[in-house]
Amino acid sequence: MKRVLGQRPAAVRDGGAGARAPARRSLMLAGILILVIGVVSAVNPAFASLRNLGDLLVQSAPVIIVGCGMTLVVLTGEIDISVGSLLGLLAALMGVFASPQHWGLPTAVVIGLTLAVGTGAGLLNGLLVTVGRVPSIIATLAMLTILRGVTEFIMGGRWITDLPPGIRALGTGGALGVPWCLWVAAAVVGVSVVIARRTPLGLRLYAVGGNAEAAGLARISTARVRIFAFMLLGLLTAVAALVAVPQQSVVESGIGVGFELVVVTAVVVGGTAIRGGTGGIAGTVLAALLLGSIRTALVFLNFGETATYWERGIQGGFILAAVLVDHLVAARQGSGGRFIGAAA
Amino acid sequence: MLHEGVIALLLILVMVLAAWLEPGFISVGAQLELSTHAFELALLALPMTFIIIAGGIDLSAGSTMALASVTLGLLHQAGTPLWLASAAAVSVGAAAGAVNGIFVSAVRIHPLIVTLATLAAYRGLAEGISLGRPVSGFPEGFQWIGAGTVLGVPVPVLVLIVAVMVAGVVLSRTVAGHWVYTIGGNELAARHCGVPVGRVQFGLYTLSGMAAGLAGVVFAARRNTAKADIGAGIELEVITAVVLGGVSIFGGRGTITGTVLGVALIHELRELVGWHWRRDELILIVIGVILVGSVLLNNLASRRRA
Repeated sequence: MKRVLGQRPAAVRDGGAGARAPARRSLMLAGILILVIGVVSAVNPAFASLRNLGDLLVQSAPVIIVGCGMTLVVLTGEIDISVGSLLGLLAALMGVFASPQHWGLPTAVVIGLTLAVGTGAGLLNGLLVTVGRVPSIIATLAMLTILRGVTEFIMGGRWITDLPPGIRALGTGGALGVPWCLWVAAAVVGVSVVIARRTPLGLRLYAVGGNAEAAGLARISTARVRIFAFMLLGLLTAVAALVAVPQQSVVESGIGVGFELVVVTAVVVGGTAIRGGTGGIAGTVLAALLLGSIRTALVFLNFGETATYWERGIQGGFILAAVLVDHLVAARQGSGGRFIGAAA
Repeated sequence: MLHEGVIALLLILVMVLAAWLEPGFISVGAQLELSTHAFELALLALPMTFIIIAGGIDLSAGSTMALASVTLGLLHQAGTPLWLASAAAVSVGAAAGAVNGIFVSAVRIHPLIVTLATLAAYRGLAEGISLGRPVSGFPEGFQWIGAGTVLGVPVPVLVLIVAVMVAGVVLSRTVAGHWVYTIGGNELAARHCGVPVGRVQFGLYTLSGMAAGLAGVVFAARRNTAKADIGAGIELEVITAVVLGGVSIFGGRGTITGTVLGVALIHELRELVGWHWRRDELILIVIGVILVGSVLLNNLASRRRA
């Protein structure tokens, strides 16, 4: 495939303008993250404790895991806003599959079924977008609504409180003193980076998002690449559900509401262009950590009870500022950091 | 036209089904009473139609609604006369929309990103200034805006009828309306043709914010409460209605007639399912299936003609 393409896409080619923008964004995010941690720790040293930073990682893990998949989908120029509803559905299904009062299936079967349903939902999204030619924002908006409806239908307003110990261990257990969700997040990040940067498939993801028509002429099956991205995102949403949902002892139907916005925000703040073609995993991971640290920082800055009410406002203002600064820097350097070209 | 026809047919089918299941549902009285429930959805759908036809999107409408409603509540609590508080609330909505407009038109950042950020920011601002507390106890004269009637027709519905007619005329009969289609069809070409793209975009987002502000005021009047969590998720419902009505998410195509039909279909379905089956989750599933189904059908039809 490389031979047909002639050269690697600009986003992957070292030193290309497409590669500079994400790298610059990652550096900026890392800088701000260190700054936030530094300033808050100076005010309240407890913030820098290993335990608090660990909590921060644990809270960000689902966003990071799903964010990796979302990055790949957005790289191809598509979007999936159904991940929050899918997370809710998978949580409900896990509860129903595992709970002794319901199906009471063995842990391994529950894990297998959850992964299968997640991947299946991703496949359905991918088919709607490629074969059905439904714009991805519409297809996944419909799925957002439908899956939430199915979840509420399954839960019927009740809670599932009897998750068996085998499932609970996925959320509460760990190895070498590190919770499972962090091991899983690290593995997902590693695999996603390798897929995006080191495999022919990754090249195709960038190529489809950069210029779908050109990719098609280069004999890349744009449909198959996009279906793959959606399926991987579905699978990763299931992975996130498996390690995050059992952290709580209760499964209720509201799990995952608004989660899609957090994940898309992390991807966008991380520097992946919403029209596809440029960006990467590293930015998404850093942005997810940064968004998570703002929440914790507010608590540690001792603004009192009222601080939590400002959390979303500060996050939103922060996103605008990040996008604005990046945009201005890009405009000065003359490298295409602009998200919307006039000739979109 | 084909798409509008299909949606109109679906709407008739739903009403026939309703007449068969619940004869009381289709009476004029019941319909008038239920119609106020559609106010926010319908009012927000009008500017959203313009914005999506012009190739943009506004995800912050629900948050702006909450921000305006909280502004109204806090000013009322502080003793401001209600007419002034309402005007301030609508102005805050317009200002919120103008900020979106500046980012989209002058800074030229993708509207999905801008309004995703302000979706969080405006909701957060509403939560922050109200500290999550609701304000209620508006005087009866004010509640008239949300629940009063003139000759038997609820006030919000009258407002809506006027708004729909203005929007329809502007979009189909004026230069500004023509610009909206031109920008959505090809922004670069529109710029080269001398269309004031930036000014139109700025105006559209400001208008959307203003409509959200008004929706926030009317919502507070109808429910007699102003709180930071109102309107959460309504932007997705509005976009669903607009797209269901045949507006292309890529811009350039769509009509106010289509949007009105889309809103009516969602409204009637929601009320019927709520009335007969009393199961909210069923409504979600039906709306989602109709949304994706209508686009799929449209694609099939256009493929056959091609």
